[in-house]
Amino acid sequence: MRDELPATRDRYRHFLAIQTRWSDNDVYGHVNNVTYYSYFDTVVNCFLIAEGGLDIQAGKVIGVAVETMCRFRKPLAYPEAVEAGLRVGKLGNTSVRYEIGIFRAGEDEAAASGHFVHVFVDRDTSAPVAIPAPIRRALEQIKAPGRTSREKRRR
Amino acid sequence: MTDPGKLRRDDFPYRMSIPTRWSDNDMLGHVNNVLYYRYFEAVVVRFQMQEAGVDWVNDRVSPQAVETLCRFHRPLSFPETVEAGLRVERIGNSSVTFAIALFGEGQEAPAATGHFVHVFVDSGTMKSQPIPASARRAYEKVR
Repeated sequence: MRDELPATRDRYRHFLAIQTRWSDNDVYGHVNNVTYYSYFDTVVNCFLIAEGGLDIQAGKVIGVAVETMCRFRKPLAYPEAVEAGLRVGKLGNTSVRYEIGIFRAGEDEAAASGHFVHVFVDRDTSAPVAIPAPIRRALEQIKAPGRTSREKRRR
Repeated sequence: MTDPGKLRRDDFPYRMSIPTRWSDNDMLGHVNNVLYYRYFEAVVVRFQMQEAGVDWVNDRVSPQAVETLCRFHRPLSFPETVEAGLRVERIGNSSVTFAIALFGEGQEAPAATGHFVHVFVDSGTMKSQPIPASARRAYEKVR
């Protein structure tokens, strides 16, 4: 089962520049596979904080990761700066599936791409809650065009 | 596909204890999602080196991560010791897929399940290469 992941820049709706760090490289001189997920975490949370008003310190609602995936195509290495592309693949009532591409500066093809599924829960009870309106509005802005859940099922 | 909630430690023939560290917890008081992949990597790399004979420093052909996935079922947190379980799910010509589960201390059902795909690559040409026979034998044993 291979889901289609967008691999070029034009498929993403929001970008964040991320400076790689010395400690991102492993002994092979490339960014370690685990670190890509730290870039995923960064682009998603920066977007929610800046565009959706997520309050990570005191907000009643928090996002919890339920599934993440990454496909590694080309190596990255410190000291290059990378860009993380983000879009929303599926927006549910309590959950959202982000699609993420990691790009080298000036390259159109993603070095890696993957997805990240967040469920929004009450900070105290951990029960799933509807996505807060300001966050939903922000997520609507970066929704992938022309993909309904029905189309996805047909494929 | 087996319901991941029904998987138990015995479903994974190769296991490794991993003590969590204080800094694994994020500001929500649980191990951050990224760190689960650090644990995945630890059990995969240890298996590759100790059981499959992989020598990343000296071998010209060695495994590289091409895809990883994790499903988070319940939180883990410092100071518990996590048990990582590994078995081989699929052996291809040049790639191997490991199924991995992480178990929290005293928990029967996994806190997380996922997979890790390694492809053998020639470090000079960066082309994929067949799995070496010794590694293939090791994978068959934990299938």
